[in-house]
Amino acid sequence: MEGHQRNLYLYDRFNARVVGVSVDDVTTLKYWAKDLDITFPLLSNVTGFLGADFGVVPSPEIKGYPVFSRRTVIIDKKGIIRYVKDGSPDFKDILLFLKKLNQEGGKP
Amino acid sequence: MRRNVWVLLCFVLVVMMLSACATTERAQKPYKFSQQGTVIWNDEFEFKPPPSEWKVIQVEVGGEFGFGFLRGDPGQFPSQSMFVYDEEPFGCSTKFENREEEFFKRYLWTTALNMTMRILEKQKVHVLGGEGLAVVAEGEDPIKKEKAKSKVVFGKRGDRVVAFYITQWRHIDGTYDPSAFEVFDKFVASFKFLKKSFYETL
Repeated sequence: MEGHQRNLYLYDRFNARVVGVSVDDVTTLKYWAKDLDITFPLLSNVTGFLGADFGVVPSPEIKGYPVFSRRTVIIDKKGIIRYVKDGSPDFKDILLFLKKLNQEGGKP
Repeated sequence: MRRNVWVLLCFVLVVMMLSACATTERAQKPYKFSQQGTVIWNDEFEFKPPPSEWKVIQVEVGGEFGFGFLRGDPGQFPSQSMFVYDEEPFGCSTKFENREEEFFKRYLWTTALNMTMRILEKQKVHVLGGEGLAVVAEGEDPIKKEKAKSKVVFGKRGDRVVAFYITQWRHIDGTYDPSAFEVFDKFVASFKFLKKSFYETL
């Protein structure tokens, strides 16, 4: 999340907006955002349905609890998913993809 | 019999050639020395190398910093000194004063300074061809009987804040060695960018 915050000015340049999704509750996310100085929106999705909708694999570490592995998804302005990658975000790869998408005119 | 020896010899030669190839690949280093004796790191950074007792350290995947140098110091555990160049230091702000606060919130945890930490010095400096901020901090962990002293120098690369930092860990009764900080200062003063960063080229 900190990496996304650092790149906000570049996301702006490429007409992109970032949203974080977590299964933590709102209070926890508020505290967390304040502590890390995060200014972009964080969505609290305690039931984890968004994770399931985006096909994120539940973490094998905590069975029976809606904890999902990390996944980065880029959606274009038409609502089409254009980029999906699991694991820690590859910020350089994300920025290059957003730049390309912006040049194509398919603003995310 | 003679043919078998010949085949065996060919086999040994092929294995030796393959081993040599593998060794060359493994031994590939991210740095080389210039004719002036400076280090060229990944064709991107140039700096004066520290004395030979400082060993190169590098984080390749998921690391918290890029590369640096580590030295084991005499004395009780955990006597050692480490300094690094960090392209993505903790925090997000592009203003040094704010970044320093953000940085120390998390850096303390990684240095074991978190029990009792205090800022000893904070001053504007000239670094990387522009304005920067140098901060010296110290802290102890009375439970583990350890202490550490850090100096962090924030500078700019394009729009983004980068940082150099040194941490020296000691047993709580140990004394700090200022020579490591002098080596660090020389490293920082000599550090140059040889090309634009990825972010500057976007």
